[in-house]
Amino acid sequence: MKVTPALALSVLALVAVSCGDTGGSATSQAATVDFWYYQPTPQQADKVKRLAKDFETANPGLKIKLTEIPKDDYNTKIATALNGGNGPDAGYLDQPQMARFAGGRQIAAVPARTIDESAYYEGALETNRVSGTLYGVPLQQTTVVLFYNKDYVQTPPATWDQLVAESERVHRENPKVAGVALPKGDGFGAWIFPAFVASAGGTMVDENARKVTFNSPQGQEALGLWRTLLASSPRKITNTDQAFQKGLAAMTFSGPWDVLGIREQFPQLKFGTALLPKKLEDASTIGGENGVVFSTADNPDGAWKWLKFLSSADHNAEFADITGNFPVNRAAAAKSTLAGDQDMKIVIDQLQSARSRPALPEWIKVNDEFIAKAIEEGVDGGRSPAEALDTAAVRAAKALGW
Amino acid sequence: MVKTRRAGVRSGARSEAVAGWLFITPAVAHTLVFMAAPAVGALLLSFSQWDMTSAPTWAGLDNYRAVLFDRDLYPDFLVAVRVTAYYALLAVPASLLTGFVQAYLIDAVRRGQGVFRLAFYLPMITAEAAVAAIWKWLYDPQFGLINGLLGVFGAEGPDWLGEPAMVVPALALIAAWQSGTAMIIFLAGLKGIPRNLYEAAEVDGARRRDQLLRITIPLLRPTTFYLVITGVIGALQVFGLVYVLFGRDIGGPESAGLTYVLQLYVTGFRDGEMGAASAMSFLLFAVTIMVTALQFRLLRREPA
Repeated sequence: MKVTPALALSVLALVAVSCGDTGGSATSQAATVDFWYYQPTPQQADKVKRLAKDFETANPGLKIKLTEIPKDDYNTKIATALNGGNGPDAGYLDQPQMARFAGGRQIAAVPARTIDESAYYEGALETNRVSGTLYGVPLQQTTVVLFYNKDYVQTPPATWDQLVAESERVHRENPKVAGVALPKGDGFGAWIFPAFVASAGGTMVDENARKVTFNSPQGQEALGLWRTLLASSPRKITNTDQAFQKGLAAMTFSGPWDVLGIREQFPQLKFGTALLPKKLEDASTIGGENGVVFSTADNPDGAWKWLKFLSSADHNAEFADITGNFPVNRAAAAKSTLAGDQDMKIVIDQLQSARSRPALPEWIKVNDEFIAKAIEEGVDGGRSPAEALDTAAVRAAKALGW
Repeated sequence: MVKTRRAGVRSGARSEAVAGWLFITPAVAHTLVFMAAPAVGALLLSFSQWDMTSAPTWAGLDNYRAVLFDRDLYPDFLVAVRVTAYYALLAVPASLLTGFVQAYLIDAVRRGQGVFRLAFYLPMITAEAAVAAIWKWLYDPQFGLINGLLGVFGAEGPDWLGEPAMVVPALALIAAWQSGTAMIIFLAGLKGIPRNLYEAAEVDGARRRDQLLRITIPLLRPTTFYLVITGVIGALQVFGLVYVLFGRDIGGPESAGLTYVLQLYVTGFRDGEMGAASAMSFLLFAVTIMVTALQFRLLRREPA
């Protein structure tokens, strides 16, 4: 067979047809709200779909298109999609991402009179505020409490001193059991750390004075507490997957998602929850997701309606229940299936003293890189808490441009 | 007459050339659109500041300067360089050794070569995330199979992925286990050595050990060279394994498992510093070229 340009062209045409646009790509209808959220379990996804159906029934002419994205890839995917001009109308945004997206003008400010601010828990609402402007609606919130194994701990410790004593006693009596499954020097540990700083009476930053404050004596005390706890909580025990769940650690700091997770997967574990042990005052840290409308939304009105629906007194409890988090709407909290639950009562109490993270675009880096490293060095490593935190503070100030 | 003939040939050649170009157009287009264009884009980005949300701004050499010299903003950059170098140093020889031993043994068996080849190659075609999940379990300090086995012999195993000093050796062990590619290529190399050399050696009374040291290994030199080059390049880019292995504790204890590309990834996608991440990727590119060139100089020379 002779190779001719005509033949080559026809092969090329075939290739082009087979890998090209297969046509029929949906032209977005004005009445569709494209909503991105973290990929839940299949059962949870069904419940979210039912919520969307309810919304569509209540709002004829509007359609919700749900897109599920694995949590770990979410921030990357959303940023990429927005840059490519293919972003959704609305979606989740992790609390610490708010400042970054607001700064880049990729999310729209909440139009006046869209929501009644007093309906929400203040801590959750405030995570939506960047430089005084509200950029989103809280959808669900979470915080951290003390979990304890009733086989080892009868009375949960209420103070730092009791926590240390209890941890030491458990490990002395049961050398194979760690006192506390202590957070590590990673982004998660760095998220929990401010709870202890606040309990000692300190803060992480002073935004008005543009000053990093987590290396204050209070911050050093907090890190020093963890360092003390490590002595009776060897990593070799707690480094196993789910050490607390398997009964290898007597206590840990975790959130409501683990209350549900343990009940489902480790029903034999007898555990209880309590407020985080305190030094001077009750304090914890807050997390959760906000709902935002992107600046490029085709249908911002419909998107705000949907977010309002999800955070409303009637539906927020259901939505938060689905994902194992806590409602942000005060009226909804009472209706939550978890409201009568002893462990969830602790969570509600703890939420009263939960503080939100600084609304700074660089905070993720400060949290995940600098504070995480300070925990690693000051708790596990060879540096003193003061030294480790001082270094982190210098770095944080530089990254923040202060 | 002659003239027209030649013109005919030439036009034939030209139409073949056109056809050839058309045939490779899809490959060329793919290379340009998905490889060259993003590379140029990344090069431009490496001179800019871009957080993926607002428009990029020109930053000149700032990214390179900060990444290389600012230990406040990028405290773990040199750690990542050290971890990666150490990993390459351990993992490449380890996987070459296991690959060679596997190939040598398979070459020696008379039956069932295919079965062994498949068995030893399986770790290569297993998804990286699955590999990491399996090894995470093997290395578990409390319930892991490895420490369980050591316990049978009365030895207390370390916390493989929890003690900074053990992390890179533990990673290299996984690399040694995943040496299927080296095994296949060594096997091909072994098959390429003429049998008559061994026969002649046997006639001269050479033992197996002498045959191995004086015939097999020297004649596998080009194969080994190729595997060292590709192995080092691969080791410098290891990412998926460590990403899954350490989960949210990125880089493991004291960043002992923070490989270069993992550091690059978190800089770009977690911290939103695409400019700095692009600069890191071009630094890696430059280092890879240098290391490869150095290997060409040192290793390619024929043995004296």
